[in-house]
Amino acid sequence: MNKYENPMSRQVFSLPELIKEQYADLEPKSRTVLSFQEIFNIQRIVLTGCGDSYAAAMATKHAFEMLTEIPTEVVSAIELSRFYSKKHMGVDCRNPLVIAVSNSGTVARVAESVERARKYGCYVLGVTGNLESPLAKHSDKVLKVDIPKFESAPGTRSYMVSTMALLLLAIRFGEVRGKYTMEQAMDYRYDIRKQGELLEALLPAMNEQSLELAEQWKDYPCYDFVGAGFDYAAAWFGQAKILEATGKFAMHINSEEWFHLNFFAREAGRMGTFLVANTTNPAMSRNKELVKYANELGRPLAIITNGSKADFDHEDGVYLQVPDPKYEINMVLTQYAPLCLIASYISIMIGEKYGRGCEGKWSFCEGGYCVKHSEIVID
Amino acid sequence: MAVLEKFKIVTTYNEVYDITKMVKETVAKSGVKEGICIVHNMHSTAGLAVFSPWDPDGFADLDDEIRRLVPTRIDFKHQHDTPQDAAGHIKSALLGVTLNFIVHEGALLIGGSQGLYFLEFDGPRNREFYVKVIADER
Repeated sequence: MNKYENPMSRQVFSLPELIKEQYADLEPKSRTVLSFQEIFNIQRIVLTGCGDSYAAAMATKHAFEMLTEIPTEVVSAIELSRFYSKKHMGVDCRNPLVIAVSNSGTVARVAESVERARKYGCYVLGVTGNLESPLAKHSDKVLKVDIPKFESAPGTRSYMVSTMALLLLAIRFGEVRGKYTMEQAMDYRYDIRKQGELLEALLPAMNEQSLELAEQWKDYPCYDFVGAGFDYAAAWFGQAKILEATGKFAMHINSEEWFHLNFFAREAGRMGTFLVANTTNPAMSRNKELVKYANELGRPLAIITNGSKADFDHEDGVYLQVPDPKYEINMVLTQYAPLCLIASYISIMIGEKYGRGCEGKWSFCEGGYCVKHSEIVID
Repeated sequence: MAVLEKFKIVTTYNEVYDITKMVKETVAKSGVKEGICIVHNMHSTAGLAVFSPWDPDGFADLDDEIRRLVPTRIDFKHQHDTPQDAAGHIKSALLGVTLNFIVHEGALLIGGSQGLYFLEFDGPRNREFYVKVIADER
């Protein structure tokens, strides 16, 4: 590998094998976690979580709607626990179905949100690795994830597993409700499994580019992450990794809002700008306009795409190629990989500890203390 | 003497697929004058039936009545696949996956109002069935 190799970059390199392992584990579980009756009862879906799990919800919301035709919302845990209207809970015989994601299951706000959702009549499916956790205890059903232990680093493996679990649930719901044939459902699933091989093939070149980009961009004071639709989830996730791994300022915004806000930022030449833009994205035309104007501003620009420079009118930029799945819904399983590599390398190059090492002023977050220990309020 | 032939077909949702010609031609090509013909499908959500071809509405009746006998419900105990698949297994078991015919004077011995049909209880699917023609012992 290279002298900047670190636990987070090793997490990225472990993804191809993890995708195979987790598919084998989650495919059968996703078939049985809800019965036909429970799946046919769903009128609306709410996806919730905090941090990376919230990003996983954003990454798969469109897949739920495309595959199941069931209206699906992404609601952050604090919105669901403190603000979501009671009038919209417990309707149509335990709707909406709330799917809450937390690998540890111990995040206070997620536990609070599902406790409230269940109190007011929602049906709760927890996606967690901890059956004894508050999330599991407040869920009607649990999809148990089992992520093999790995070196600690800003979550990369757990994010992939969360997105895969949600995608498999979406495929299952659509299959059972007769939105497509079982053969089509299996084709969606096989495409999930194949993403590991596709990523493995691209990783050497992706790693080289990521190292080079990290070297060039490591001293920038701020990074801007942009995307639309489920690409926005990868952009959101990218800014999260920069914050966690490097402690630097990072922003996230969708491709339209960028034109209303973020482009105003001064020092454009020192603002590393990441655009996540897959070629099938309905906002592709806006993304292409963004690339053009970002170049006019002199923004250092990296485009994360399954396509190439030709897809963006040969505009300047660093084009980081990510896997091109048969089905666009499966893009979310791997498209964040270069962002994690870059964040991890910048962290090492500037000598920054992940999560500031939970030391000094940051010691209160040791072991996730501040997200696990918070007053629970159920109205 | 015996001949085995495999056919591949692409079905649509709950299709009643006419295989009469395929089976008749297999018998004719086999050269068997007197014997038996077995038609068999290897699927668990499809069946085989002899049915009158003359009124197209009859196929709709067949489909309706099979569905009436085994409605696609969500309370099947078999939940691994889909409700339609679970119902399809029952329909396949009730109607059977094999048909037997007599071969006489080099032809399939069926009446003028008898057609042979592959009954799809799922679909669209890629399906296959076999036709075996066996000559009588001399």
